[in-house]
Order: sequence, then C-alpha cells, then structure tokens
Amino acid sequence: MPLDTSTYNLALLRVDGRRWNELRRVHAQIRTQAAADGSSYLEMGHTKVMCVVTGPTEPGPRRGGAAAGGAGGGGVGSGGAGGKAEIVVGIVIAGFSSVDRKRYGRGDKRTLELASTVSNALAASLHTNLFPHSQINISLHVLSQDGSLLAALINAATLACVDAGIPMTDYVAACTAGSTSTYAANDEGADPLLDLNHQEEQELPGLTVATLGNSDRVAVLVCESRVQISRLEGMLAVGVDGCKQMREILDRVVREKGVRMIQEGTVEKGVGLGDIDMD
Amino acid sequence: MASLKRSLDSDPLAANISSKVYVRSTKSGKVQKIVREVYLRQDIPCSSKLCRRCLNTSPRDAAGQPRPFVLSEAPAGTSVFQQGHYLVPDTNAFLTAMDLFEQDSAFYDVIVLQIVLEELRNRSLPLYNRLISLTKSEEKRFYVFFNEFRLETHVTRQDGESVNDRNDRAVRKAVAWYGEHLAGTGAPKVPAVVMLTNDRDNLRKAKAEKIPACSLAQYVNQLKDAEALLDMIPDTEDQETIIKDKRPGDPLYPEYFTISKLMTGVKNGLLHQGIFNVSLYNYLEGSIRVPAFPKPLIILGRENINRSIDGDLVVVEVLPKDQWKEPSTQVIEEDAVTKNENPDAEETGDIVSEKERKTLQEEVKRTQNKTTEGHAQPTAKVVGVVKRNWRQYVGHIDQSSVSQSSQQGRKQDTVFVIPMDKKIPKIRLRTRQVAELVGKRILITIDTWDRSSRHPTGHFVRSLGELETKAAETEALLLEYDVQYRPFPKTVLDCLPKEGHDWKVPGSVDDPGWRDREDLRGLLICSIDPIGCQDIDDALHSRPLPNGNIEVGVHIADVSHFVKPNNAMDTEASIRGTTVYMVDKRIDMLPMLLGTDLCSLKPYVERYAFSVLWELSPEADIVNVRFTKSVIKSREAFSYEEAQLRVDDHSQQDELTTSIRTLLALSRKLKQKRLDAGALSLSSPEVKVQMESETSDPIDVKTKELLDTMSLVEEFMLLANVSVARKIYDAFPQTAILRRHGAPPKTNFDELANQLRVKRNLDLSVESSRALADSLDACVDPSEPFFNTLVRIMATRCMMAAEYFCAGTQAYPEFRHYGLASEIYTHFTSPIRRYADLMAHRQLAAAIGYEGLHPAVRSRGRLEAVCKNINVRHRNAQLAGRASIAYYVGQALKGRSEAAVEDGFVLKIFSNGFVVLVPRFGIEGLIRLRDLAEPEPAAEFDAETYTLKTRGSREVTVELFGKVRVNVMDQKDEVTGKRGVKMELVSVY
Ligand SMILES: [Zn+2]
Repeated sequence: MPLDTSTYNLALLRVDGRRWNELRRVHAQIRTQAAADGSSYLEMGHTKVMCVVTGPTEPGPRRGGAAAGGAGGGGVGSGGAGGKAEIVVGIVIAGFSSVDRKRYGRGDKRTLELASTVSNALAASLHTNLFPHSQINISLHVLSQDGSLLAALINAATLACVDAGIPMTDYVAACTAGSTSTYAANDEGADPLLDLNHQEEQELPGLTVATLGNSDRVAVLVCESRVQISRLEGMLAVGVDGCKQMREILDRVVREKGVRMIQEGTVEKGVGLGDIDMD
Repeated sequence: MASLKRSLDSDPLAANISSKVYVRSTKSGKVQKIVREVYLRQDIPCSSKLCRRCLNTSPRDAAGQPRPFVLSEAPAGTSVFQQGHYLVPDTNAFLTAMDLFEQDSAFYDVIVLQIVLEELRNRSLPLYNRLISLTKSEEKRFYVFFNEFRLETHVTRQDGESVNDRNDRAVRKAVAWYGEHLAGTGAPKVPAVVMLTNDRDNLRKAKAEKIPACSLAQYVNQLKDAEALLDMIPDTEDQETIIKDKRPGDPLYPEYFTISKLMTGVKNGLLHQGIFNVSLYNYLEGSIRVPAFPKPLIILGRENINRSIDGDLVVVEVLPKDQWKEPSTQVIEEDAVTKNENPDAEETGDIVSEKERKTLQEEVKRTQNKTTEGHAQPTAKVVGVVKRNWRQYVGHIDQSSVSQSSQQGRKQDTVFVIPMDKKIPKIRLRTRQVAELVGKRILITIDTWDRSSRHPTGHFVRSLGELETKAAETEALLLEYDVQYRPFPKTVLDCLPKEGHDWKVPGSVDDPGWRDREDLRGLLICSIDPIGCQDIDDALHSRPLPNGNIEVGVHIADVSHFVKPNNAMDTEASIRGTTVYMVDKRIDMLPMLLGTDLCSLKPYVERYAFSVLWELSPEADIVNVRFTKSVIKSREAFSYEEAQLRVDDHSQQDELTTSIRTLLALSRKLKQKRLDAGALSLSSPEVKVQMESETSDPIDVKTKELLDTMSLVEEFMLLANVSVARKIYDAFPQTAILRRHGAPPKTNFDELANQLRVKRNLDLSVESSRALADSLDACVDPSEPFFNTLVRIMATRCMMAAEYFCAGTQAYPEFRHYGLASEIYTHFTSPIRRYADLMAHRQLAAAIGYEGLHPAVRSRGRLEAVCKNINVRHRNAQLAGRASIAYYVGQALKGRSEAAVEDGFVLKIFSNGFVVLVPRFGIEGLIRLRDLAEPEPAAEFDAETYTLKTRGSREVTVELFGKVRVNVMDQKDEVTGKRGVKMELVSVY
C-alpha cells in the first residue's frame, strides 16, 4: 500500500504526486450517444461518468427508458405546473465502480441525494421556464469512482445539456476542495487542496463546490466533513478557482467538438455556431 | 458514430500519468485490485543546497512559501567517500538499524526514498513514525525524495519481476539519478550518493551498475567511532529468507485438539489440565500446575503457549524429555520486543517474530553453554483451551501503533491496546475513533484469537476518560479487579430500616429486637481501630472475675440483624463479597447507613452486637466460652495510636485504661502460644499514602508502623474467629463456612532455600510451619536489620492463598490454617466488610438457638458457590487496594521536585536485569542492563551464585539480597504512553 495523506508536508506532494492546486487529468467528450438528445462522457482522474439527456419532452410516462433506468431520481419544478420544465435526474452507480463490489439499490439514500443536488445545480443555469409542462431527463451512469463524484456528475450533466441544446446561462462547473491536514490535527496553516481523489476524501476534510460559468456565483456547496471554520475560506477560494479551470476545460471540449463537427460536415458553419474558434 | 475511444495524444498531461496497481488481499481471502493514478513530474527538487537548478522549480505551498533545501552543501565524509556523501538507505537498513540513524555522532544528510518510506510503513508503523520524526529534525537533515513521482526516477515493474526486485531497482535508479544530477551542479566538490543495503544481491547489482553502495557494517567501519556503532548493527543478513517463507493468511499457531480428544487425553493421563499462568517477567514463558507433577510444568515460547492467556483453563501435553527446558533467567518484556510490530499488517512471517526468535535463541545458547545438567524442568505445550478466562480489560492505545492518517473518523483502523495487566498480551483493536481514543483509558474485550493472528483481536467497550486523571485511573483499577462500584440500586436501599439515621436500639426491653439479647450496656467496652475508621465492626472489654480469672469480650457488629437472608441487600452483598479499600475511596459491601452508622459500634450510643465472651485464666487459657446476641454501649473509639499512648502513660489509672492493659498482657500470651504452635509471622511491605487533606493529592508515603495495640486487637479477633469456627463446625459439620490455608508444597521453597544457602549459608527448613517459623527467625543478618523482613516477604510469596470453604467439602485435617497454625478457623469479626463473616454470624446465631437457620445458609451447593465468589472477590479487593497504593505512590513521586534516592534490596536476578524492592515505598521495580548505562553494558550472569557482573560501559556486581541505592521516579514511556515507577541504580553497597 502507498503512503497516506499525512506525508504531504514532507515535500508538498499529494498521494498521487500532485501539488496542492492541481486538478487531476480531465478527459471529456460530448455526443457520445448519437441516439440521445444529448450525451457526454467525463473522466476526472479515475472517476468516470456517462450522461444521457432526453428532453425537454412531455411529462408523464417516461420516454425511451433512459431515465426509467435510473436508480435514484431527483426532480425540480413540478411537472410544469409552475410553468417550468422539470429536471429529473437519475443516477446509476455500477457495482464494479469501486474497489469493494457493492450493489446500489433503487432507493439508496446517498444516490438519491446526489441526484437531487445535480438537479438543483442545473436548475440554476438551465432556462427551464422556456419549457413549461415538460420534463428534462438526465440519466447519469457512474462507471468508476475515485473521489469527487458529485463534481464529476455535475460536469458531465452540464456537458450533456449543452449537447442537447437546452438553453442555459452558462456552464455549471464543479470540483472539490480539501485541506491537507485532518480535522483532529487542528492545523491552522494547512494548505488547501484542489480536486480530491478517493483516498484524500476518506482521510481529509473536503467540500464540493460548483459555480455558474465564469462568475463567482456558487451554485452548489456541499461539505460533509468536519473542518475548522478558519480553514473553510481558503478551501472555498481554491474550489472556486478550480471551478473556473474546470469551466475552461469543459468549454474547450465543447468547442473542439464543434470544430470537428464542422470539419466533418455534420453541421454547417454559421448558424448558432458563429462564435466557435476555428483553431 | 462517435466512439468513446480516448484521444490520449491530444492531452498534454497524458504522457506523465502512470497508474499503479496494488493488489490487496483481505482476511476473507478476497483479492482486491486497487488502481491509483500517479502524476509524474520534473519539479521535485533534489534538495541539495549545492543545486541551483532545482531552486527555480522548488515547490511552494499555498502561502507561496518555498521549502528550504535540506541536504548540506558540505556533507561529512568517510574514509572512503572523502569528498562528502549523501546516504540512501534501503528499507531493510531502516528496519534493522533504526537506532543507528538516530545517533548523534553520524548518519547526517540522508535521502529517504518514497519507496523506502512506503515499504517501511507496511512493515513497521512504529519505525515509520520514528523515521518521520527524523525527517522533521533540522539537525539530522533527512530528506524525503519522492522518487516514484519524479519522471526520471519512476520505475515500472517489468514482466516476471518481483515486487522486491522492482523496489530495489527503483532505489538504485534514484541513487544513479542523484549522482548524475549532482554532477551536473558543477560544484567543486560533488558529494557521493551512497546506497546502504544489507541485501547481497542488491549490492552486487549496484556494483555492476557502478553505483556507490555499502552494507551497513562496511559503512559504519568507514566512520570514526565505528567501534561503538558496530555493536548496534544486528546480524541479520539472512533474515529476509525466513520472513519470506510464510505467506499471508497461513495459520501461525498450531490447531487445538478436538474436545473429545482433549477429554480422553486428560482421562488417560496423557494430557493434563490446569490454569495457565504467565510469568511476570517474561511474557513468553508460562507455567501450569497439574496434579501429576510436583513442580509446575513450564511452557516456553509463543508457539507452545499457543494463544493461551493468563487464567485460561487449558490442556497441555508434556514434551519429550529431550525438549525440556530450564525456566528462563531472563526478563523479556512484550513492550520492548514487539514494539515495532504493525497492528494492521496482514500477518506475514512466523508467529515467532524475528526479534522473539533471537531473544529465545540467546536464552537457549546460554542454557546449553552451562555444564550443569538436570536443571531442566518438565516442559509442555498447550493443545487446547477448555475455558477462556477472558474478561474486560482496561488499557490504553499504543501511540506508536497509530498511523497519522487515522484521525478523520471515517476510516476503520487497527491499533494495539496495551492492557494495564502486564500478563495480558497486546490486543489488536479495530476502531473508527482512534483520534478520540488515543490518550484515554479505555475498556476493551477480547473477541477471538485466530490461528492466523499473532495477537488476539478485541473491540472497544467504552472510554473511562483521560489517562492519568484520578477519576479514570481509579475507575480503571476497579474495573480491572472487577469491583462492583455502582451505587446501590433502590431495591437494596429499600431493605434498610425505615428510620434511617434516627434508628435506635429500642428503649423498652420488651421490644422484639431485645429478644434473647443480653444487656451488656454496663460493661466498659471500647473499640480500637485505624485512624478515621468509620465502619467499626469490633469492640472489646475485659474485667477481672472474683475467681482470679478474667472475663474478656469481643463484640462484633450485629449485621445479620439488619441484613436478612436472601433479600435484595443480602444478594448484593454476597455478590460484592467484601468492601474494597482504595487509597482515596472505599467501595462498601453494605450501604453506608448500615456500615458507618447503624451497625458500626460507634462510641456513646447503644448498638446491637454479637458477643463472644471468654473466661480466660491469667495464663490466657480458655476456661470457658459462650456466645450471645447483646446490646452494648462503647465507651470510646480509640485509634491504635491513642490507645497506645494511653496504655504507655502510667498516670492513667482509670478502669478503661487498666482493662486495655489487661487485654494487652493477655494478647501477648496468646501470641506466644500461637507462635509456639508454629504460627508464621509473615510479612509484606505495607505503606500508607499521606494525602493532602483538601485536594486529596498524595504528598508522602510512609511505611506502616507496628504498634502493640494492633497486635492486641488482632490476637483477640483471631481468638474469636477460632472459637466461633469450633462452635459452628460442631453445629453444622457439613455447611459451616470456614477458612483454611493449605500447607505450601515443599517444592515452593526450593528456590528460596537454595538462595539462602548459597548466599548466606542459612538453612530454611520447611518440614512444618513450626520449623519454617524457627528457621525464618534464624534468618538474620546482624549488619542489615531489614534482611529478616526481606526473607519473610520472599517466603510469603511461596505460600498458598488462604480460602473460604464449606466444611463438608474437605476432610478435617485439611481444615488447618497453616499460617496461623490453627486446626480450624473462620472469619467472624468483620461482618460489615466481609460477606463470609455475615454468613458465620447467621450460622452462629442458629448454633446458639437464637434463630432458625434460613434455607439459604443451609444449602451446601449454594454455600459453595458463595465461597467461590468471595474467594475471588477477596483476592481482587486485596489486589485493587495494592494497585491503588502503587498508583498513589507513583503520584506522590510525580509530585516531588527531585527523584527520591532510597535504599533497596535485590529480590531477584535475571541474566539481563534484576528486581529491586524499595521498602520505603513498598514497591519493587525492574532494572534492566540497558537501564544501567548507554550503551548497554555486557554482563556475566552466574545462576549458581545469583550474581550479575557487568562489564564495559558500567561495572557493577549485583547480588541477590544485596543492598543497593536506587533512584525512584515516576516515568512515562514516550513510545507507548505507559506510566510507571522506574528505578535507576545509583550504587551498590
Ligand atoms: Zn537539484
């Protein structure tokens, strides 16, 4: 077994060789499922998720089974009664996604909570009021888990919504932030950390933050571990900064895909895509 | 169609990402594959102050502060590397010789590779923690180089390459890189980068690759003070092979026999059953007393002890005669030997760890060197456990077994718990709350001890509070000795008289309470007890009779009047068995109202009593004895000191004082008779802790003074107990509750007799208690008055424990009380604080026809069960009391500004240490060779003459019974967090 997070201070290196302010390698693709309205695949380190979006569609019996397969579901808005589209999020976590093979049942509390958080995060950006009496189904599949799962889910969902062409204010970009020493160590001078992997999540305090595009507007902030309030500010600042980096990466993915689609002739240059950089 | 194929080439980072795959096998045999990302980089500095290049890429923390470089620009040289050198040790170097690296004289500028740190952490958490603290020391200049994260030094495992080979290659690669990198600095004197390893293969490969490398011994030889350091290098070049033989998950211990095999074996006499006892000084040696052998069988080594824990009822098989061993003459402490073990390591290696193997081998070598044969004793191995004696144990977490990451509270972690009881092995504890539990007194239980686990596994029960706080330590003692200390429940309190403290002896003699009671209120009765005694259960009187004889009365609190058989209070008292006296606390057997008020024979008030009245001749022969329930009124409650002063003050001629003088005179005669009959005057060091009255902090320790008045009370209590014993045995030959003290087996004294003969040319004869008493009297050393007491203390330890029993379970000759030289004996005089006495009261009341015998006091089965319980309780209460004194002695020592220098006597000698008794504090402590001087002096141990002669760093000769001067202090072991009294030898007389 490798070392643990307590060795950070020896050489300012994290358990996987990163510095405190480095994101893991992010790899993302959009339009991975041609049949869906929108789809994406995203890796943050070894955390791998897929997302499929259908809709906006008529509410009622769910279409196509994409969302029906969801083990967890979360919804915002109430089936159009409020004049807004409902965002229904379903999350399936594969049994093989973590080291300990584990079955995630339909009603798994944790999965439901994740779904509801994703749904809320997207509601901050999607113009749901344009689609009254309809439903947006977001189906997320977790293939591999290595920390920062919620952030990866939000990022993948954002990409898929972009792909689906649902009007939105900006990207909802998310990442995690932590602190290099434990709560018990009560270390005021602990460095903040960006983008926690699984081991760091287990051993260190951390939070998930999502911001709206390039602004400092925080769309999601989840902190489930004990940490001294004095350390929180630094963690949040690093997290928000990480979200901006993440937005750049997502943006690049979308633009590269756009460029390639134009090159391949899938879409015509011009309408609606006029602002895409060609290089 | 879009595909999910990754476009790695477009990702600038991708080239520098590697994955590490670990395979983790769990206890249940599952294999888990863990994949971890590794980000390779080129900005990990070499941290040499010579290097300018790395300065530019030096990492900065979140506050923008760069890390200062660690390694000196002008490191020390050796005879071979005169230009100066940096050291790169491999894992084994740290594992075998961490002490070397901690030396002040050498081992500076050390590069600790990440891979080495990782391996070390897996192998030994304590050593890992020590290394981490070295890296934090500024003087030592230890730098951790994360070779696995640096692009140039990262090594991928090749096909068919073992993990060990891969790691060795990684070390060599890092050393090579360092060499090239430093050469590139253009410094005028480039230090050599030297790999330290004891692995021959690795050394050979390094030579082939032209990498500077040394073995530990070669390297130390290049240093200036090589001599001193060479001793610290363990001779372990071949160890690796032994360790690698066993695979994880293989059972470490032999399997137990099946129950039926055990039972038939015991029946046929092939196997023997008995209680397993661990040696106090050697945790790898145990003994078991079985009927078939006169001497206890010894059980040596972890494998033979086979998971038995002190107190377990086990079945053993005697080993063939050629495997018989001598009892160990060496102190082997678990803390010291196993301190580097890892609690959560998968159990690799043998059950007998390398260190244990070595310790035992030394022992065997020594024994074989000796020409004297025939010392070998029957030796056995445990083949089965009939009944575990596991209970809850109080202990604390071994700080050195705690990993630094185990604090967030979500991860389950395995740590070692060191039980307070030295005889109990370390216990593996799995817990999620390590952070909260470190530094606390905790209560745990043992769950299992698998064949595949070196240590037993337990779970956490609860925390008693911070270590070393008075509350936690007191509760710890009570729990450890299983003392029932909870407040009395309401059902018990409901049994108390409704009047509470207002209860009085009824004024009218027609009251049913007066039935069959003699009115002894007119007698001049007084009580004599220790200062501050509140639960007075005995009082005395004497008066001359017209015929020249003397009437003497012993009046005992009539507890059985208040505690009726089989009610809630009686049941509770029978469970508690006895009152427990701690230094600052008393745990009562009966509720306070009875113990300190209604039953207590307080002065100036009328109280019910149970009286024993003798007519004694002036020579203290019993003319007549009778027993009666009575009402008395004590005239005075004296302390021993007050009574003594009064007796000694000849101006006091009042009737009460005269009667005490009469009692004193009679008691002397009684004592002489007892001694003539062969009663032993034994000794155990007794001390008293003086407390600050307000804060109740201990301030001083005093040895208990012996006063004539103490002996006065004692003699009459013995007399009463004997008289009552006769009476109840006459009345109830089957069910009388008596107390016996078995004659110790002669072999118990073998060692002491031999010691006395060899060292002092004294003869200890043990044919009878009389002979023993006489020869003990003869054990004097004119120059050392304490010598006699010392021998008595040692003789006491050879004795059996006295026990309560039911008359019907033993033949009359077995009733004998060896120590008191009395044919028959019971406990009658302290019913407030001992349950046995309360039962004797009930039986005596029935014997004199005062009341009928309650069925509960008649059923032999029930009585036997009660006897069994109170025997245990009695013993535990004594141990708890002693432990409490020991704790407060420690506290008193802690409060002192300077260490106490005291006289001590050598009680026991081992080949690597000796035990010293300090009478002033009533404590004994072990002084090991390594405590004598640094480095540990060499020693010659002569088992024949009980002499230990040290040479080298300190030269002393320690002999058994010898008088020494020691420094006594209270010390905490920084590694394990265990506090205890520690002694240092100042000089030998
Ligand atoms: Zn450098």
